[in-house]
Order: sequence, then structure tokens, then C-alpha cells
Amino acid sequence: MDRSDDLDRKAAMEKRVAERLAARAAKEAAQAQQAEERTAADVTDPSTYMGPADTRSGQPAEGGVVGAGGRGKIDGLAKITGRAIFADDLKLPRMAHAKVLRSPHPHARIVSIDTHEALAMEGVLAVVVGTDLPTRHGAIPVVMDETALALDKVRYIGEPVACVCATSEELAWLACQRINVVYELLPPVLTIEDALDADKPAIHEWRRKGGNVLRKVDQSYGDVDAALAGSDLVLEESYEYPASTHVPLEAHCAVAAPSDEGRLTVWSSTQNPHYMHRTLTRVLGMEQASIRLIKPDVGAGYGGKCDTFCSDILSAHLARLLGRPVKMAMEREEVFYAHRGRHRTRMWLKMGMNKDGRITAIDFKAWADGGAYSSYGVVTSYYLGVFMPLPYRLDNYRFESTRLYTNHPPAGPKRGHGAIQPRFALEVHLDRMARALGLEPADVRANNLFPPDSITVNGLRITSMGLPDCLAQVREASGYDEKVGLQDSGPFKRGIGLAASAYMCGALHPIYQTDTPHSGIQLKIDRSGRVTAFTGTADCGQGSNHMVACVVAERLGIQPEMITVIEADSDLCPVDLGSYSSRVTFMAGNAALHAAETMRSRLVTAVADKFGVQPEDVLCCDGQYSAGDQALKWTDVIELAESRFGTLGATGSYRPPKIGSRFRRQSVGPSPAYSFTAQVAEVTVDEETGIVTVHDIWAAHDLGRVLHPEIAMGQIEGCVYMGVGEAMLEEQRYRDGVMTTPSILEYRIPTVYDTPEIHAILVESHDPEGPFGAKECGEGPQLSTVPAIANAIFHASGIWLTHPPFTPEKVLRALRQRDLQRAREAT
Amino acid sequence: MLPLPSFSLLAPDRLDDVLAPLGQPGVRLLAGGTDLLPSMKHRLFKPATLLSLSRVPELARIEPTEDGGLRIGAMATLLGVRQDARVRAGWPALASACATVATRTIQAMGTLGGNVMLDTRCLYYNQPAGWRASIGGCLKAEGSVCHVAPRGTGCYAAQSSDTVPSLMLYEAELELLSRRGSRRLALSELFSADGRDGPRIERDELLRAVILPPPGAVVLHRKVRPRGAIDYGMLLVAVRRQGDGGSAVISALGPAPVSVRVEQLGDLAQAAWKASNPLSTHSWSSTWRKHMVRIEVARAVAELTTPRLAIAHG
Amino acid sequence: MPDEIVLKTTINGESARLLVPANRSLLDMLREDLGLTGSKHGCDVGDCGACTVLLDGQPRLSCITLAAEADGRAVRTIEGMAEGGLLHPIQEALHRHVGAQCGYCTPGIVMALAPLVDDPDQAVDDETLREVLGANICRCTGYTRILSAAREVLAGGDRQRGRAAGAREPSDGGTA
Ligand SMILES: Cc1cc2nc3c(=O)[nH]c(=O)nc-3n(C[C@H](O)[C@H](O)[C@H](O)COP(=O)(O)OP(=O)(O)OC[C@H]3O[C@@H](n4cnc5c(N)ncnc54)[C@H](O)[C@@H]3O)c2cc1C
Ligand code: SF4
Ligand code: FES
Ligand code: FES
Repeated sequence: MDRSDDLDRKAAMEKRVAERLAARAAKEAAQAQQAEERTAADVTDPSTYMGPADTRSGQPAEGGVVGAGGRGKIDGLAKITGRAIFADDLKLPRMAHAKVLRSPHPHARIVSIDTHEALAMEGVLAVVVGTDLPTRHGAIPVVMDETALALDKVRYIGEPVACVCATSEELAWLACQRINVVYELLPPVLTIEDALDADKPAIHEWRRKGGNVLRKVDQSYGDVDAALAGSDLVLEESYEYPASTHVPLEAHCAVAAPSDEGRLTVWSSTQNPHYMHRTLTRVLGMEQASIRLIKPDVGAGYGGKCDTFCSDILSAHLARLLGRPVKMAMEREEVFYAHRGRHRTRMWLKMGMNKDGRITAIDFKAWADGGAYSSYGVVTSYYLGVFMPLPYRLDNYRFESTRLYTNHPPAGPKRGHGAIQPRFALEVHLDRMARALGLEPADVRANNLFPPDSITVNGLRITSMGLPDCLAQVREASGYDEKVGLQDSGPFKRGIGLAASAYMCGALHPIYQTDTPHSGIQLKIDRSGRVTAFTGTADCGQGSNHMVACVVAERLGIQPEMITVIEADSDLCPVDLGSYSSRVTFMAGNAALHAAETMRSRLVTAVADKFGVQPEDVLCCDGQYSAGDQALKWTDVIELAESRFGTLGATGSYRPPKIGSRFRRQSVGPSPAYSFTAQVAEVTVDEETGIVTVHDIWAAHDLGRVLHPEIAMGQIEGCVYMGVGEAMLEEQRYRDGVMTTPSILEYRIPTVYDTPEIHAILVESHDPEGPFGAKECGEGPQLSTVPAIANAIFHASGIWLTHPPFTPEKVLRALRQRDLQRAREAT
Repeated sequence: MLPLPSFSLLAPDRLDDVLAPLGQPGVRLLAGGTDLLPSMKHRLFKPATLLSLSRVPELARIEPTEDGGLRIGAMATLLGVRQDARVRAGWPALASACATVATRTIQAMGTLGGNVMLDTRCLYYNQPAGWRASIGGCLKAEGSVCHVAPRGTGCYAAQSSDTVPSLMLYEAELELLSRRGSRRLALSELFSADGRDGPRIERDELLRAVILPPPGAVVLHRKVRPRGAIDYGMLLVAVRRQGDGGSAVISALGPAPVSVRVEQLGDLAQAAWKASNPLSTHSWSSTWRKHMVRIEVARAVAELTTPRLAIAHG
Repeated sequence: MPDEIVLKTTINGESARLLVPANRSLLDMLREDLGLTGSKHGCDVGDCGACTVLLDGQPRLSCITLAAEADGRAVRTIEGMAEGGLLHPIQEALHRHVGAQCGYCTPGIVMALAPLVDDPDQAVDDETLREVLGANICRCTGYTRILSAAREVLAGGDRQRGRAAGAREPSDGGTA
């Protein structure tokens, strides 16, 4: 580097420092004011870590890392070079392979299982059946209804029945075909009606009550009936949202190996290693400390890898039994049976609105086909209802949701868990009512929004709220206001539609009762200056590793690439509850901030003492700690601090605030913060064929604060993509309990041709409790996509579609009805 | 890993060595493998011997015929065919049909011969082995009922090759070869009325080349599929203009493509619609697929009669 | 007739002689026999593109290609893309644009796109780019960042190899 470069660089840096000092002063003033405005009453738990005040405001972060783009993510190189190691890439000496035989019947009693032939095959090491592992488990401890292999009954086609372990995968597969199972067929329960019918056989006959209703939730706030009666307009409509599934490109896989002293190491492609750790312990009857659970690189999950699967339990069990490593990798078909995808949901919505567009009341019912096991179904039953009062002011709300058992593969948490379906209904309903009243739907939305720092009628606490900005930005970017006035003639009709939504940033309550932190992090600094962050978080592609590095780097004044993130290894990393409910950035980010802050204060103390200044006068950025004209580079800072304090390490943790709610039963749904999205879709409807083309989607998402722009936009784009799939193509279809879509060829996820131009817009609202103000952006943006498309189809063709996916056949049918209606009106 | 069933592999580099074992029990030809190998992974076929054609260079040649037509070797890849300047100039609908097969990667692997000889397809047949067990198989494999027409005795699995409709309208012939010699078969004679029966060539024959007569025919190819790539057609249409009249071939609706011919082009869409009888061999509705026959043919006709195209096709 | 075959092939520039079962797919040979696990099983039957490798320079779905096809031919996998330790331009751009989220589709996508970049004489229009990418499913990204990365490389004319494959962004902290 030549000298002039050096000088430029120095000048630029000085300028930046000056700017930051000025910014800091402004920031402090702003904070003082904010602090006064905030009601501290919400937060009663002193151990909750939400970062020092200067990480919580809108001012630029001093290290220049937060928000900086144009760089990859720290684990990006491993992924583009093929070096990333996924579970199926692991190969250990003497590793054996397990495969399962699956049920061909939706509902049947197992009369006998003859494994002799399989066992006799050369190379077969073991055969396991349900009774070998009879302990029930479940994602939510209050309903443990699942076993690794079917015990006495099969409850869906594709349920694992017996398992073979052999010296090769091929052999294990062949041996499975030689297992002879005799079944006694039982009448299957395949529809929502049948599941509600108390006379139909109980799928879980051992449950003492409830028949095939896993959980029914009903809640009521305000006076819905009176408010509806007094509304200018009331609209009632039924909706049905189809079952869909995640299709992570990596199939589920686990490898288990015995290690020292009777311990077991398990590598699993999971999103929730901590919950799995507990489940394995339970089912295998081992001490939790005897299992080391590691999550290698994971080929995405989107909610599909939150549960513990047969592959996890069986590989662990067999490794123990045989004393050698065992791998169980699912085939693509099996991933469809493992499912845990979107619940097919029938909904009924009645809503009142006044002439000015004010929403008066919502009455909502939902019935969800949950399949044969509960998975996270108890949570689903709440999520179907509790988020409806967001983001529009609503004083009267009632919902009733029922999560049912049927003989389909188990549904579970898919991106936007439980909230996708009601949001679709609500946003379409809202458009329809606004139009019926001659109001612009986008304005109706904007006028109904909660202001920041509000409490919903069901006790959800909204803090930051950037939806007004999101709405304004998507309208502007898409040209919505002009386009909404246009109407095509001819068979090709262009249309534009808008929708908005809200989602949570992690749950206040974990799935089991505890006062321990939801997320922990440990930092260690090597004398070389390299920082290692040990975290329990489970990156499945969303970028949580980079998030941790970014937060720590920002606080320590170094670059993220100086940080090695070691994640999700129970022997090395503190617990984090997992990648679900959009909790990671908010919770693990806060834990990371906490640890970094602790570390920083030590470093800064050492430096300040050496410089003879106050700690707050030390500026940490670009790998340099400075005050006035004194400066120390990072490695010298480390040496100084290590000499002063000994080995450098710090821990951080996060536990959500104990937000007092008026409603005791409201334990599922509340989150420390909510993210908001507004989307506009532009489509063409070909009225001759019924084919809808989605051209563009503009998605503005309030993510609190941008930590890394490309990663954040990527999350939004991924959400929109998945939403487009659900709107246009994807449906888990069944015929008599047989899923007709168990392949990537039949279950059609969008290719590049089926994906619209996605315009992601990042909106910052600076959440008071998020790390540097950040909130989630990995699930919420999917909520608006389907209704935005439905509303655009209405704008194009004047048809309201209530059953995604919007296949040409459904569109044509609706167009015919429209024409009949128009003809009737004309006469 | 989805293992392939075990087999022995023969990969001769001389045509004679291909012909020798052909016709022996358990021997099956392997071209690009993009149809056969997925089906074998699903245990639909368990041939004892695979006889690979990929090392016989002469089978991949594309060369003009004496009368000004084109002889496309069975092993020419779909990508090679669609990129061939002669094909693009003289038989553009074939080029565009090749371009709609699956994906470009698959087009670079799959061959024209394999495409013409494609196994018929059905929602209840082209599925993993365990899945088929759960429905007890069907007439085409392992079972005794048809899930599409449960009271019927036939199989309606659909001929889904993208190139067939336009090749038929170009009046393509197949050059078949066996130890016994060589013969020609009109492409339109290849297909069976039952989805189980497969292409009507002898067991010891292979498809050596597809012969296109001299250019001149004005043909258009259209494909209806759920997604913009990867998917097989759920309706394939080719339309040819012949003076005031014209003909259409409608495919992917049943075991054999359906041809219709009319004196007035304007009647073609209606005639094609009448002649089409899709069954639920595809996950998308057969009512809608039938509806689409009329529209696709009408749109093709409209395109064929716009002045721009008429000129381009001379 | 033999159920095993001997094949001589070149893999990422290194010649290899292998004995594999006749029913081995190229993907399983790479992953199981050679430990080249960068190529992925996504569907195993040709539907997703995760297993794409180059055979004599052409993208191929290795899950539905017999290992025997590699006999006498050159195979290139994702492990061989960063030549001399320098990333292929498409890798470099994908990294910068964060075109890989979970990264499971990424090796296949790199292998599908690389030949477009490697032929500098070939002008690649957007339609061709989409057509090539149409063979590969990515469930994470909505393709947006993959397209922007590819467009940048193809438009740049600068189809040169980029940064070191093991590189981390030079850290000011480390070098200051
Ligand atoms: C994901 C996916 C999507 C697809 N989508 C489409 C699509 O949209 N449209 C479409 O048309 N096809 C599609 N295909 C099928 C296939 O790729 C093409 O049809 C291809 O052209 C088949 O050629 P091949 O060389 O691979 O045939 P192979 O699989 O090698 O052979 C196919 C059949 O033909 C026989 N055969 C091959 N060559 C000869 C010969 N010379 N003489 C006699 N018999 C022979 C074989 O024995 C076998 O029965 C798809 C395949 C996949 C995996
Ligand atoms: S049409 Fe009937 S018999 Fe033929 S493949 Fe389909 S289900 Fe089987
Ligand atoms: S794994 Fe080969 S195409 Fe999916
Ligand atoms: S990055 Fe996850 S599938 Fe593409």
C-alpha cells in the first residue's frame, strides 16, 4: 500500500471517528429522552439482558460492522467451496447404516413383525422394532404421543415400523424389504369432519379424553357480538389453507458414534439441538451428560427439522447397541413422510368494519388437520388465533381453534407457524371489506395500525413498530397508487394487491418450565487476537453464525472475520433453545451482546488505564482502541488485557422479560417484540386459461435494525419465495390417506422460472430491546405474500380466492362464477 | 442414497457388439439414462443387463439425407439437436420442443432416441417403490387395478415425450436396426393403445436414427406444464398448417398421441378438443387439461396465421 | 458377466483407477468411494440439480449418471473449482452476494453456472442464465442473489479467478 493511500485511509478514519463522537453525543441525548418515555414497568426481571443503552437506539453503531454489507458471511466460503460438512457427509471407520421400513397403511394394528429373514442376511447387524424403544416422546412435553418406531399401531402411511442396521446402506434397504409385517386394518380418519366426529375411532386410543381433538383453544376479549351488531358492515367467509411442506434440500440425517466411557456422540441435521438432546436422553434412558449432541452444517429446515425424528433416535440406539458408528439418512420420499409441515386449515372469519374503515370486531374459528402425532401442535392451536389482533387496533376479538389428529403424516411448524393461515384469511377479508365500503385497502390498513408501545386486546406488547414506513415504502416502490387505478380489458388482466402482517421474535416461554436463560454464549480470545464464540444456536442457513460474529465484532471493534463461531455442540457450547419461532437474532443476539459487552469492558478498562483516560473515552473500531492521539492495535489490546486480567473469557445470556399480562392463559404467543411486513404483488390473470403469473413482489419488512443487509434481504426473499410456492403451486395432496406428492417432481416447488422478481426493502424501527435494535426477518415476511397475491388477483379479475394454491382450475371456476353473477346483475 | 438394482453393464463401442446381445432376456438399452435410471431407482425396472449406447459415436451423428432431409442419430442429445443450425432452420418446432424438455442439464444428458422411446407416465406409477406398495401397485406394475379407471382393464399412462408431437407433424420416420437388418417405421406407428405395452418395436431392435423429410412443413409446438422448468408436459400440442386446413397432434393425455386433421384451420381447436379424452394420470385436473386443448390449439393456430410467422416459415 | 467394473478417469485433474459396482451412480462413487462429499444428494432421481458435476466440461446430474460413464472422461466437482487455491469467479460472486444460505444447493449451482463463465467467447443473455439455473432447485434464496451474482460475473467481462478459497476477509484487526 503506498503512502497516499495510507494518508487517505487515516483521514477517512479520523472523519469517521469524529462523526461517531458526534453521533454518540446525539445518541445519549436521545436515549435519555427515550429512557424517560419508556415504561420500565413492563420489564420486571433484572437478569434479562437487553444490552447497554447505546446498543438499543437508532444511532450508528460505532464499530462500523452492524449494517455493513458487500461482504459474504463468515461461513459462506465453506458453503461455496463444498467444504461445509453436512450430516450425510460424515463417514466414520466401521460405520454401519440404518434404514426403516414404513407403513403402507394409514391406520392399522400391527399383528406381528417377522424379522427372521432380514436378520439372516449376511451383513445385517441388527433389526429394531417399536417395542425395543417403547418410550413415548413429543416435541412439546405436555403431549408425548410418538415413539421412534410404531409400537402396536400405525397411524399414517410412511410411519416407521421396523429398522435394519447393516454394513451398507443398500443392504439395509434390501433387508427392510424382507421384513414381514402383518397388519389388521382399521378405519382411517382422513377429514376434518371425521376427526371432529366422536363416533370415529380414536387415533390415540390410549388418551383418556378428547377423541381426535388434540387441543381446542378458545379465547374472547371485549364484546364481539355487540360490536358486530353495531358495525356498518359485517362480512363472513370461509377459507381453506392447504397442507404444504418444507422440502429442505438436505434430507434428514443423523450419525451416532460411541465414545469414551459409555458416552455417545450424535450428529444430527436439526434446528433444535437442545430439545433433541432432552428427547434422546429420555427415549434412550441415558443421562443427558452422556450424550454429546452436535449439529453439523444443516441444509435448511424452515421448521421441518425442529422435531426429533426416527433417524436421530435409531442411529443413537444402534450405535450404542452395536458399539460402532451408525448413520441413518432419509431418502427424499421419507422426508415427505417426516413432514411436520403446514397444517391444512379450515377457517371461518367474521369481521365488522365501520364506514371509516375502522375494524370493530373479529370472530374467528379454525380447524387444523394435524396428522397422526402432535409435534408442536399444541402451540399451533394458539398461533392460529393469538396473532390476529396484530397489527391493527382491535377491541373485540374472539377465536376458537381446534388442532385435530388424523391419519395423515404429522403436521408441525413450517415458516410462519400457525400464523400464515389466519393471516391469509384476515388480509383478504380486509381488502374485500375495504373495497365494499369504497375505501382504499392500503389506507384502511395504514389507518388501523397500532402506534409503537401499545398493548393488544389479548395482551401482546408491541414496542417498536415500523409498519407505517413499510406500507409507505412498498406503495412507493411498486407504484401501487397509480397501478391500482388501472384496469385491463382483453383476456390478460394485470392486477396489483397489497397485504400486511406481523410476526413474533421468539417466544417468552420455552417448551418446558425453567428460569434458565433461553440463550447463552461464551467468548474466548486467543493471544493471536482471534476470538472464538461458543454458541448453542443452530444455523440452518439463515445466517445466525454471522449474526453472532457481527454482534460480537461490532462491540469489540474488530471485523466479524476475526471471529470463529463454534455452534451447537453440547460439549462445547452453552444452551440456546434452537432455531424456531424467529427467536435467534433477538435472543442469541442479545446473549452475544451481553458477552461482548462484558469482554469489552475488560479490554477498555485495561486500555483506559494505560492511556490515562476514562473507559468511556476509548473508541473501539477497525481493530484499534484509541483515545485522542493514543492508539493500540487489537493484538496489543489483547496482550495488555490478558496481562492485567489473566485469560480472557466472558459469558453472556438472555432471558426474555417477564411481561406481566392481564391474561394468565396467554402463555403461548407473547414475544418480546414483533416484526412487521407490507407487501405488494403484481400479477397477470389469463382469463382464458386461468393461469396466474406473478411478476413482481415488493416486500418491505421492519426488522428493527439491519445487521447485515444481504443476509437480511436474503431472508426476506426466501420468505417471499416460499409464499409464492404456497400461493401458486404447493399442496401436500392425499388420496385415501396416500400422499400423492412424495417427490420433488410431484410436490412442485418454484424453479427460477416460477419465481417473481422479488424486491426486498429493509425498514428499521430500532427495537428498544433487540440487539442494536434488531428483530427477526426470517419468517414474518412470508405472512403477507399469499394474501397480497390473492388481492392482486382480485384487482385483476374481480374474483376472491379463498383456497390456495391458486391453480388455473380454481381461477377458472371463480371466473365462471363471476360471469354468472355479472350476467345476473345485468338482467 | 437410493441404490440402483444390481445389473451387469455392457458398453460396447461398436454397433455390431450392441446388436449381438440385444433381444436376449433381461437386456435393456441405456441411452442418456434420464428416464430409465430414475425408474430403476424406483424399482420399476430391474434389467439383468444394461446395454449402454453411449460409446458408439456413429449413433450420435446428425447428417443430411440425400433428399434434403435430416437423419438424427438416436444418441444425439436434446441439447445438441436444439442447437443444430440445420434443425433450427428447417424444423424449428423440433428445436423448440427439445428446449422445453425438463431442464437444460437434462437436455444435455437425454437423447432424442430416449425421448421418442420414453416410457408412458402416470401419477400412480412414476413413484417410489414403497409408495406403490401402499396403493398395492397398479396394472402397469405389481398390481391388479388401475387407480385412474378402477373398473377398466386397460392402462392409460400417458405418452409424454416432448418431441413426439412435432416429429409426427414433420412426418418423421424411425430407422430401426437389428441383427436381422434395418427397417423404417412411421413415428405415428410406434405407439400402443395401452400404457403398459411400450413402443411397438421388436425386442431385438434398436432405434438407430430419426429421419426427417425435407423441410417445408409449418409446425408449432406448445407445452403446458405446472412449472417453467423440470416438469413433464401435462398437455403437449403441435399444430401444422396445410393450405387452408391443418392438423394437430395432442399428447400427454393418454398412451398414444392423438392426431386430428381439418379442412379449415379455424375448426382445428374444436376438433382437437373433441378428440381429447384426458384421464387423471396427472395430478392436475383432467377437466382443465381438456379445456386447455382448445385454447392451446387455437393459440397455436393464431400464431401460425400471423403474417410474421407465415413469412418466417416461407 | 462382471458386476463390477474398472474405470480410468480424471477427477479434478488427477487421474484415478477405480473398481466400482456396475450399479454405482457417479454421485455415490464420488461421495462414498472418493470422499468427495461436496456434491449432494437432494432427490437422487434427477429432480433438483444438487448433484450436478461436470463431465468433460458439461453439467451432468451425477445421481442419474452411472459411474461407468466417467470411464475415459474428465470429471470436475465442486472440490476442484477453486484452482490453485483461487475461487472461481462465480464462487467469489456468490459469496459476496450471499447467494448461499444453507449452501446445500450451492455446489450444484456453481457447477451448473461455471461453464457459462468459463467460455469467455460466449455472450450469455439472461434467458440462457435462467435456463441453466432452471435445472437447480434452491429452496432458501428465491434465486434472487444467485442471479445477481451470476449477472455481475457475466456482465463484468472480468471472468478471472478471485480470492483464495480459504480466505477470510482481511481483518483490519489482524493486520493493522
Ligand atoms: C426431472 C426430469 C424431468 C423430465 N422432463 C421431461 C420432459 O419434460 N419431457 C420429456 O420428454 N422428457 C422428460 N424427461 C425424460 C427424459 O429426460 C427425456 O425424455 C430424455 O430425452 C430421455 O432420453 P435418455 O437418453 O435419457 O433415455 P433413457 O433413459 O436412456 O432411455 C429411455 C427409454 O428408451 C429406451 N431407449 C433409449 N434409447 C433407445 C434406442 N436408441 N433404441 C431403443 N430404445 C431406446 C431405453 O431402454 C429406455 O426404456 C425428464 C426426466 C427427468 C429426470
Ligand atoms: S393408468 Fe392405471 S394402470 Fe396405468 S399406470 Fe396409471 S394407475 Fe397404473
Ligand atoms: S440429487 Fe441429482 S438431481 Fe437431485
Ligand atoms: S441455499 Fe439452501 S437450498 Fe439453496
